[in-house]
Amino acid sequence: MLCSIGLGLAVVSCAIRTSAPPPVPGQTPSGLVDEAARSPDQPTPRALASLGLTEQGRLLLESGRLDDAISILERALSLNPTNGRNYYYLSEAWLSKGNPLQADEFNRLAAIYLKEDSDWMVRVIDQRERIRERKR
Amino acid sequence: MVIALVFLFGGVGALLYCCHLSAHIQKQFSSRRWSIPSRVFSDITLLYPGQTLNLPLFHEKLRNLGYQEVSHVPLHKGELRTAGPIMELFLHDLALPSRNREGFPVMIRFLQNRIESIVRPDTGKPLPIIELEPEEIMLFFGPERERRQLISISQAPQHLICAVLAAEDSRFYQHHGIDLRGILRAFYINLRHATLRQGGSTITQQLAKSYFLTPERTLSRKLKELLMSLTMEVMYEKNEILEIYLNEIYLGHKASISINGVGEASYFYFGKSVNELLLSEAATIAGLIKGPNYYSPYVDRERCLNRRNVVLRAMHKNEWISDEELQANLATPVNTVELTKYGKKAPYFIDYLSEQLAALYPPQALASLGYSIYTTIDTQVQMAAERALARGLARLEKSNPSLNRSEPGKRLEGAVIVMQPKTGYILAMVGGRDYSESQFNRITQARRQSGSAFKPFVFLSGLDKFTPASLVSNEPKSYEFNGNKWQPQNYEPVEKVRLRLRTALAKSVNRATVDLAMQVGLEHIVSIAHRFGLSTPLKPYPSLALGAFEVIPLELARAYCALAADGVLPYPLSLKEVVNENGGIVERRHMTIESVVSPAKAFIITSMLRSTVTEGTARALKNMGITFPVAGKTGTTNSFRDAWFIGYTPDILALVWVGFDNGDSIRAPGSTAALPIWADLMSAIPEHISGNWFQMPPGVVKRIVCSESGQLAIPNACPEPIEEFFLVDVVPAQRCPLHRPAGLFKRIIEEVKDSYKNR
Repeated sequence: MLCSIGLGLAVVSCAIRTSAPPPVPGQTPSGLVDEAARSPDQPTPRALASLGLTEQGRLLLESGRLDDAISILERALSLNPTNGRNYYYLSEAWLSKGNPLQADEFNRLAAIYLKEDSDWMVRVIDQRERIRERKR
Repeated sequence: MVIALVFLFGGVGALLYCCHLSAHIQKQFSSRRWSIPSRVFSDITLLYPGQTLNLPLFHEKLRNLGYQEVSHVPLHKGELRTAGPIMELFLHDLALPSRNREGFPVMIRFLQNRIESIVRPDTGKPLPIIELEPEEIMLFFGPERERRQLISISQAPQHLICAVLAAEDSRFYQHHGIDLRGILRAFYINLRHATLRQGGSTITQQLAKSYFLTPERTLSRKLKELLMSLTMEVMYEKNEILEIYLNEIYLGHKASISINGVGEASYFYFGKSVNELLLSEAATIAGLIKGPNYYSPYVDRERCLNRRNVVLRAMHKNEWISDEELQANLATPVNTVELTKYGKKAPYFIDYLSEQLAALYPPQALASLGYSIYTTIDTQVQMAAERALARGLARLEKSNPSLNRSEPGKRLEGAVIVMQPKTGYILAMVGGRDYSESQFNRITQARRQSGSAFKPFVFLSGLDKFTPASLVSNEPKSYEFNGNKWQPQNYEPVEKVRLRLRTALAKSVNRATVDLAMQVGLEHIVSIAHRFGLSTPLKPYPSLALGAFEVIPLELARAYCALAADGVLPYPLSLKEVVNENGGIVERRHMTIESVVSPAKAFIITSMLRSTVTEGTARALKNMGITFPVAGKTGTTNSFRDAWFIGYTPDILALVWVGFDNGDSIRAPGSTAALPIWADLMSAIPEHISGNWFQMPPGVVKRIVCSESGQLAIPNACPEPIEEFFLVDVVPAQRCPLHRPAGLFKRIIEEVKDSYKNR
């Protein structure tokens, strides 16, 4: 009898953990969870097009054509505002142009959109340090 | 002896006069020769596989860019062929401030209205992205009202030069400004036909006439023309004279604007640059010199074709084209581009832009220096916005005839602005329903009460203390300020006495909003609103919470951009670059941003404004064909004087305002007056809708809370647990005090029941 009660309690306790009542449909924060989760792992065509422009922007940045790089990175951003690399390179361009305030704004955005990418976060943090250095 | 002296003195006199003329000619030619109006361009258009387009608008865009439908495979720049799902396009050259690209052929395959692939047919290579050139949207004319695109002689194709020479002066390279043989031939022909059939003027004489002389027909003027021609021939190379002539000649007009020079004429008649002109097209342009309006293809196509063929035969007679070329081109019809309208394509936007340009350049510089001004405007979005507004206002007037006004300046009005929230680019601006009726820009110049569209800034101001699950009072209350009592009323009856913030904002509940505002502090709300760029005076009165103070629609749209852009306020950008005639960039503007609130707070307000669309005052949006996630807010002011809707996604934001300029009631709230216009607009610009939603930024967490208490939900106790977003620093710490967990025995029974139910 005790065994069966104990077994019952164990089952129930497990059940309680697993069957916590779900949020009431329609009362969730407006399906935001689903929509946020919809951010695709597979890049959308729009995101792919944006990446192509990001690469062009990077090359322009490397060749020292800062204004041209900014123009094309802005265009990439308009196609995919969640592409963290655009913010990183925009920050880099503004830093090179001697505007650490704008660089700082873009660096913070880069940190938001690259937070899941540890390799890129290293670069973002390094960039932040350089911006701080420049501000001093 | 006397005769010799007369000749001697006459010769010396002529020589001295030529010296005088040479100084005059040199002065004219060394200074600026022509006033070139500055041209305003839209932004470029990107096309990429996977992109969904509004095909009718896209075709309209191509027509505006001068692409011409042909029945054969496009072989020349500007040609277009559509066959079923495939569009073949020979792209124009792309000349941007930072780079140039030669035109090339592309093949775009569509699957319904989505681009399936873009391939370069000459190489078979798939293309990930292509760019269409910017569209001209306006010219800054000077008093001359001339359009002219300068070309150098090296840009003019040989067949164009030959055509012009054949038509006007075939012995140009043989004579010295005056062609005696030509004069005798013209004299003979005119005598034979007893009419003025042929003129004997050389190209140099024509240039002297049009460039330096008045049109009167006197002997002294003719003599001056001859001497000036001789002088010019001494001073300048033949090719220099021809180049000036090709840029100078009048070749037609449209409305009050004259088309001058072959560079402009190539675009005007054939939608292409001069170096792309085909032989038959070059001959057509050359044929126009004799009588640009009489031989215009837009006036009489047959007459134009006959004149062109005269030129072609003259070219053949001079052995500048072969028999085969002659025969092939004689059979070619005159295919011109559609006559497009000149004028402001986005007039309110242009006015707004002009104000900024006026700070940089005086009007005479814009009218004469030939600047190319590149802007952020997207002509497809602009067209969609203009049409959505026109349709929406007409629909309102039809559904409520009391809104009709017979006087033009007093009609129901509306305004739309479309922006990219992250960059601040203004994609479209419609400052009123009809620019010819009223040039008052209701986006940049109007000051209107924002009504409930102001509420997000009240809720945002409270996020340091309150959460979306916090409860505020919906009870009737009176507030006093300046000795006056004021009792806010709800727009619709709301039964609940206490409401969660999310519900209060979604359903735009006035009493609950004022209750929150009073707890948050009115001064704090004013300071937040100013931080978001609202520059109009805002007073810390309780009615502030309901948008009783006036705002400028552009500033309100910009403030909402910050909510859509991780709390970063963008500068509203319309002007991108100004490029001078030589291609040098003289002004360049980039997006500039300023953080005004944390990304976490912006995200939480956005999530609450999402509820407005899913279950609040904008829920009708889903019945209007909007299937992608949107955050937004309606606004309605007292007595229905103003109706607003501001809606956004991560990619795009649009604000719609509807009202009367004189403050008459429009008898409709934002949800029925402004919202359908917003939906109509967004449905027409699928290329700007990614369907993506905002990512949850750092500093936000999710918790399950009780809908009644707003505190952490107790499993199996709270009847309506809901998932909610919280700032990481303002998470409910307490468990729900309203509901008690069930006893162990009851829980076991419930679980057993549930497990049976779930079988």
